[in-house]
Amino acid sequence: MRLLLVEDQMLLRAQIDKYLRDDGFVVDMAGDGVEGLYYGREYDYDAAVIDLGLPKLNGIDLIAQLRAESRAFPILILTARGDWQDKVAGLETGADDYLTKPFRMEELAARLKALVRRAAGHASPVLEQGGLRLDTARRALAVRGQPVALTAFEYRVLEYLMLHGDRVVSKAELTAHLYEQDFDRDSNVIEVFVGRLRKKLDAGGVANPIRTVRGEGYLFSPGA
Amino acid sequence: MGSLQARLMATSAIALGTFLALTGWVLERSFAASVLAGAEEQMRGAIYGLLAAAQERDGRLEFPAELGDPRLSAPESGWYAYLQTAEGAVAWRSPSLLVTPIALPSAMRPSPGSFRFRGAELAGGGDVYQLGYTVIWEDAVDAEMTFWLLADARPFRAEIRSFRGSVAAGLAGATLLLALAQLAALRWGLLPVRRMTQRIGALRAGQREDIGADYPRELAGLALTLNRFVSGERESRERHRRAMGNLAHSLKTPLTVLKNAVRRLSPAERALFAEQLERMETTVAHQLSRAVVAPSILPRQPVHLLPLIERLLRTLDKAYADKPVAVEVRGADAAARGDERDLLEMLGNLLENAYKFCVSRVRVAVEDGNPVRVHVEDDGLGVPAGERERVLARGARADDAHAGHGIGLAMVVELATACGGGLTLDDSDLGGARATLALPR
Repeated sequence: MRLLLVEDQMLLRAQIDKYLRDDGFVVDMAGDGVEGLYYGREYDYDAAVIDLGLPKLNGIDLIAQLRAESRAFPILILTARGDWQDKVAGLETGADDYLTKPFRMEELAARLKALVRRAAGHASPVLEQGGLRLDTARRALAVRGQPVALTAFEYRVLEYLMLHGDRVVSKAELTAHLYEQDFDRDSNVIEVFVGRLRKKLDAGGVANPIRTVRGEGYLFSPGA
Repeated sequence: MGSLQARLMATSAIALGTFLALTGWVLERSFAASVLAGAEEQMRGAIYGLLAAAQERDGRLEFPAELGDPRLSAPESGWYAYLQTAEGAVAWRSPSLLVTPIALPSAMRPSPGSFRFRGAELAGGGDVYQLGYTVIWEDAVDAEMTFWLLADARPFRAEIRSFRGSVAAGLAGATLLLALAQLAALRWGLLPVRRMTQRIGALRAGQREDIGADYPRELAGLALTLNRFVSGERESRERHRRAMGNLAHSLKTPLTVLKNAVRRLSPAERALFAEQLERMETTVAHQLSRAVVAPSILPRQPVHLLPLIERLLRTLDKAYADKPVAVEVRGADAAARGDERDLLEMLGNLLENAYKFCVSRVRVAVEDGNPVRVHVEDDGLGVPAGERERVLARGARADDAHAGHGIGLAMVVELATACGGGLTLDDSDLGGARATLALPR
């Protein structure tokens, strides 16, 4: 899950980054509104965390510009003042949720996951399809009722494919959303992970839920 | 006297009245004096005529039948002449006196060569002017004698009366005109004051931002000062708010960092730090929110509540997308007097509490009246009756606040009290709490 974090306070930014990274997110950081706008325009994100009190370009204006440029990813705003004027203005401008400082990282991560899931059209935090049950809140997979252990990266691949199960996800897209920007984008690595994931799911009794669409990418369609 | 105009009118009415009365009096006096002088002048003429007409014969003075002044010959003319000897005997009477016998008034004779003029009353009734002139007739035996002339005063008095009448009419007309002119001048002169008063009214009602600058010199300074004061107040509120916002930002960001850094500490330390940080957090939040509450000296514009509620509900629907909440909004589109930000704050906190604590239903009702009441109800657990007072206590220490409902409600109480309203809590028929916010209209 690739995330844009725009926060001007370095220490807090580093802390959020560390926490979210440990929680399986890929995070791009920006220290001011202008930098945030650059990232937001250049890359496709699954969600963004934007502090309202930003230098150069304030949070509200940044959101307005991103929305004006049809960047549709969900946005969570961080507000220090916490007054309703800010929250309402933020959400009316196009943000999707707010969090008042000081907050707990657990809360932030949970809200972000919910935003990403809802943006992909899933109302429940538990994704269930063809004998697979992925609990995105607890990051747990069960196949035909039996828990299956996944590595962090395998989980991310599966979560992304399941969230976007209505379409073919290209290897490039997977790479972009699951890796750091400067990562060597070798699609073989993705193939290796998808291969391992298939084996684990096969072992659980679900036959080939991840189909390869030649020349295009992967499609999650269990029970096909 | 309550009004400037009334004061000025009263003062000028007194001055005008006094001036015009004095003018009338002086005019009347001088006219009367001139009429009197005229009368005396006429009477002297008549006496001179008698002197000229007198003929001495056998030591007595005789007068021809036709006298110089016809009035002395005609009966009922009101003019009478007689001659008095030094002994007081009447030596001669004019023909008019012979026809109309009247009781002659006794009077002191003037000294020889001099006139004596006075008003007198006849015994039979009637005012007369009496003029006497004593001469020493050197050829006569009875050398010293006095010519007396009586003239009816009524025609002269009538003349004075008629003059007085026209002066009074003229002065009354002038008074009326002057009073009208005065009133017009006052109204015109006080027009800027009236304008200022109206605009201050509009300012108080929140319909104007300032009182304008189009005033005459005498008021321009006051208007300027007032405008500066008003905009200064507005700016300082805004500055204060911004300063509080900055303070919030610079305090809460490090608090967030610390709050999340404690996970690296040992369990004992973590508990201690977490507790202390929690205290700091609530204190900061509470004190900052209280600091923003500065009662304004300027009354606010009425703000329609339903649009604010709708905006907040849209925001909350988005933020609580994972919790299906059925919201029912009822009531009139009432307007309350207050700062929009403060109203948003109060309603936002109440509504978010309802979203947070409800099971699935929230009801918002706006009840028009004075005060305007907004009821926010939910179907959650509610606030136990014993807790309500403590939850609502104004200025309650943040760290005492009831968890969950705490800061939000304390803040609503703070804001509502500052703007002249209040907050009460009771039970909702939905099963949970019902918060009622009263706001001045």
